[in-house]
Amino acid sequence: MTAVAATGLERLETESSNGRIPGNKGIWVGITCEFVEFLVLFAVYFIARAHFPEAFEQGGEKLSRLAGTAITLLMVTSSFFIACSVATMRAGQRRASIAWLVAGLVMALGYPLAKFLEFQWNMANGITGESGIFFTVYYYLTLNHLVHATWGILGILWVLARHLVGGYTSDDYSGLEALASYWHATDIIWLVLFSFFYVLV
Amino acid sequence: MNTAKTKNPAGLASFTQAWLGLVALTFISLYLSNWFHGTAWLQILVAAIIWLKGILVAKEFIEIKAAHTFIRRVVLGFVAVTPLVLLIIAYFGNQVARWATL
Repeated sequence: MTAVAATGLERLETESSNGRIPGNKGIWVGITCEFVEFLVLFAVYFIARAHFPEAFEQGGEKLSRLAGTAITLLMVTSSFFIACSVATMRAGQRRASIAWLVAGLVMALGYPLAKFLEFQWNMANGITGESGIFFTVYYYLTLNHLVHATWGILGILWVLARHLVGGYTSDDYSGLEALASYWHATDIIWLVLFSFFYVLV
Repeated sequence: MNTAKTKNPAGLASFTQAWLGLVALTFISLYLSNWFHGTAWLQILVAAIIWLKGILVAKEFIEIKAAHTFIRRVVLGFVAVTPLVLLIIAYFGNQVARWATL
């Protein structure tokens, strides 16, 4: 038992000398898996693009850039608000932290709404998963991202519930920071998807 | 785990700058796409913007500079890989297509 405790202490010392862990270790296992998953999905995009460059140059022109831009602004703004929530909690400003988190949640909820409207617009314009290789890849990647964002929104709701009952203090806010790290990682992935489908046309 | 405690939320100013940068880069990329559609160097600029946006989120929001070495490598590696592969596909797309043909 003493040896185990000593090993744990040594590990903690190593961690502090190598830098801190934003949130907790568990969320970074999840984020690393998320990155690996999307690298595989990006490989699908790149291989399809290499095989069918014309389809990818023309396909994006048919998508709604307004929807893509709206989702990007919602994602970066919610990421910004949630980062502010962590910073204010760190400074001991609990009420401000809750307010920033609620603002981040409102922005985050705009994403599935914008995606729903975009898909409705797509259907009205005859854009389905069978409209060509570009659109198959577009639905595959963006729906996958929407699933990850939905997990993030559920995470925000859980963290908000804990925050409201005093679950975080300026000394212990690792749950809030873990959620923020996941949301920022999901934001980084969307910024790549935005360029893939709405900019590189 | 949370060791970076400060009295004032000093990060808010840099967060705001990062957010403004992300919004600006989003509109710049749309502008570039509209006006330079089909030009060879558009993909270089878009790759640079993808990298820059990723760095902004990682550096300012995740505070990657203070993060554990493994986390720093994972995030910065992910941010760097996509623009690099995008450039490879832009300039060596035919070769990649040949290698990726079953």
